[in-house]
Amino acid sequence: MGGDVQKDFKLIIDNEEINDAPAAETISKEELQRWPLFGLSVGSFLQVIAMEQQTCIMEVYLDANHTGHFCFVEGELYDSVCGDLNGENAAMEMIAWENVRLNIKQILNAKNVERKIDKNLMLLMMESSRRRDEVQENGEHADLEMEDVETLEDAEVVADDVERTKLDTCLNLMSKDMGDALKAASIISINDGKVMASYQDDQETAESFVRLTNFMKNTYKSETPYELGDHIIMDLKDQHTLVILMIGEHQWNIVFNNVKCSLGMLRNIIMPKVIRTFNEMNVG
Amino acid sequence: MNIQKINVCMDILKKDLGEGFIASCIIMTEDGQVLVATDQANIAEATLLNDATAFIRNALKTYPAELGQYYYVDVAGTMAVLVIPFGDYQWTVTVNKKQVKLGLLLNVVLPAIINAFEDAVVS
Repeated sequence: MGGDVQKDFKLIIDNEEINDAPAAETISKEELQRWPLFGLSVGSFLQVIAMEQQTCIMEVYLDANHTGHFCFVEGELYDSVCGDLNGENAAMEMIAWENVRLNIKQILNAKNVERKIDKNLMLLMMESSRRRDEVQENGEHADLEMEDVETLEDAEVVADDVERTKLDTCLNLMSKDMGDALKAASIISINDGKVMASYQDDQETAESFVRLTNFMKNTYKSETPYELGDHIIMDLKDQHTLVILMIGEHQWNIVFNNVKCSLGMLRNIIMPKVIRTFNEMNVG
Repeated sequence: MNIQKINVCMDILKKDLGEGFIASCIIMTEDGQVLVATDQANIAEATLLNDATAFIRNALKTYPAELGQYYYVDVAGTMAVLVIPFGDYQWTVTVNKKQVKLGLLLNVVLPAIINAFEDAVVS
C-alpha cells in the first residue's frame, strides 16, 4: 500500500522525491535544510493545515530511522506513511512524536490521490493521545522516578502538551461548528493562568479575563454570602457576545458574532458537544 | 431622572419576571450610591458589580471591544444577576435562574426595561 501511495505522491509533487530517508545517524546540513520547520508539535501543525484547508504533503523527521509523511487534500487527511506503517496506524504513530522537523510540499494535482484514512483528524489525535497515555502509564517510555527532577519536569511538559492538544482539538471543533461566527477563543488554566489553547485570541486579553473572574470570585466570596457560578455572558458592541465558562480547571473565553450564531446555539448545542468531546478524550 | 418612571420600571420587572424576581437595585456608577433598591437587594453585590463593570471595560480594551447593553453573571446555587450599565447609572436585577429562562430574560424582559429606563432617565 505504502508503495502505491508513494507512487501517487510522486505524480503530484512538483519537486523532489519524498521517500529517501536519511541514511546517516547524524543529520547533515543538507538534511536540516530539507526539514526546515521545527518548534511545533506534529499535532499543532496538522491542525493548522486542516484549518487552512491545505492540499499538501507534510513530511516529518524525528531521526534518521523515523521519518514519514501525511497527505492532505483540502484540509482532509487522506493518507500517511511511516516506515512499514501506513494509513491510520502511521498517522497515530507520528502524531505522538515530539521535537520533530517538518517540511511542507504543495500537491499540484490531487485528482489521483486515493483516500486511505476515513477517520477525521480530531479522532485520530484523540486516539493517538489515548495510546500515548497508555504507554506512559505502562512505563514503556516514561521513567518517572520521583528523585529524578529533570525527568519529572519532562513528563510534566509532555502531559501539558497532551492537554494542550486536547484543548486545541476542542477549539478546532468549535471553530468548525461556528464557522466565521467565532471571532476569538481561548482556554486558560485557572490555577496558574497559563493559556493552554487559543484561536485568534491574544495572551493579554485571555489573561485579563482570568484576572476579571478571579476578582469577581474573590469579591463575591468576601463581600457577599454567595459564590460566583460557572459562567458570565457579556453583550458586546457590534453584535458580538463574550461567554466566559469555568469548567473544571479551565476557563474558556469565547467571543462570537451573535447574529451568525445565537447564544442558545452556543450554550445548548455547541458547548455540550465540545465538552463531551473533551471528557471523552480524558476518559480515553 | 423621573423617579415615578423608575418605579414603573421596577413594577414592569416584577410583573414580567413573576416569582423568578428576587431583587433589583439602581446605583450611580460614579460613587456607587444606591438610587433605588427593592426589599431584598444586596447593596454590597451591586457595588461590587459597579467595580466589575469598570474592570470589564478595561479588560475589553485589549481585545479590542466595548461592552454592550448588559452582562449576566451566574451565581452558585439558584441565583443569577443581570447587570445593565446605562451611562451614569447601573441597574442590577437578581433572578432565580431556575424560574426565569435566560431566553425570556435577555430577549423579552431586557429590551422592555431598557426602553422604560431610557425613558425614565431622559424625562
